[in-house]
Amino acid sequence: AADGEEPGLQPCAAKKVKLELKERKEKKQKVDEDEIQKMQILVSSFSEEQLNRYEMYRRSAFPKAAIKRLIQSITGTSVSQNVVIAMSGISKVFVGEVVEEALDVCEKWGELPPLQPKHMREAVRRLKSRGQIPNSKYKKIIFH
Amino acid sequence: MAAFRWGSGSPSAPPGSARRCLAAMADEEEDAPFEEDAEDAGGGLDGGQGKRKRLFSKELRCMMYGFGDDQNPYTESVDILEDLVIEFITEMTHKAMSIGRQGRVQVEDIVFLIRKDPRKFARVKDLLTMNEELKRARKAFDEANYGS
Repeated sequence: AADGEEPGLQPCAAKKVKLELKERKEKKQKVDEDEIQKMQILVSSFSEEQLNRYEMYRRSAFPKAAIKRLIQSITGTSVSQNVVIAMSGISKVFVGEVVEEALDVCEKWGELPPLQPKHMREAVRRLKSRGQIPNSKYKKIIFH
Repeated sequence: MAAFRWGSGSPSAPPGSARRCLAAMADEEEDAPFEEDAEDAGGGLDGGQGKRKRLFSKELRCMMYGFGDDQNPYTESVDILEDLVIEFITEMTHKAMSIGRQGRVQVEDIVFLIRKDPRKFARVKDLLTMNEELKRARKAFDEANYGS
């Protein structure tokens, strides 16, 4: 490219980018469809107990009213529906992270479910050391 | 809905997806109403954590089973989890209040706070996208019915 050309993409370069984006999007859709199909095959081979658990995994959710009330009691103002949806969603992910870690601890200690408080507490300790649990009370030492 | 964009992504959803996501939403979440929960006896948040009335016992039990615990989790473990969740939400709320528009909690703030956590970020993205599609689908449905 010579000097004195205006900044930005030339027409054929712009077309190239557009084509690339389209290809990437189609590829992503194919990957999504593949994954949907794989999930269907997996779920269709579940035992009854696995189906029960999977249903609970999908359906369990925090009651929106209670979450909304909790957030609003902290902010003192009202919050939008999307905030409640987002907060409920990430809270469920959080629960999953703690339970999965606790199950790892339980198994590592050669024990079985149901999870006991000691497993939960050890799980929290580990997640905290990996920075996966927000804790603003810790005094950050910036300069050693 | 906020005007912020997720990055790449088409502004309008392809026609078939609304139906798919209605089905997915039905599977995905308990259909809880947004107005005050009638059967919840005003769960107070005052006092120490020991005195606080349990807010999510039922739901947490189902969640724990779904994530791999026994079908009947120990109550003490459920209580510990509930305290953790409330602490998590409290922390997030305070952080969200301190960024962006001060004193308010907005979706953009939450998204910003979890940007480094891939699982939570992806989850929020999915949930909000699905919600938008659902709203659009419901609106189209209502408009279609209004004519007949």
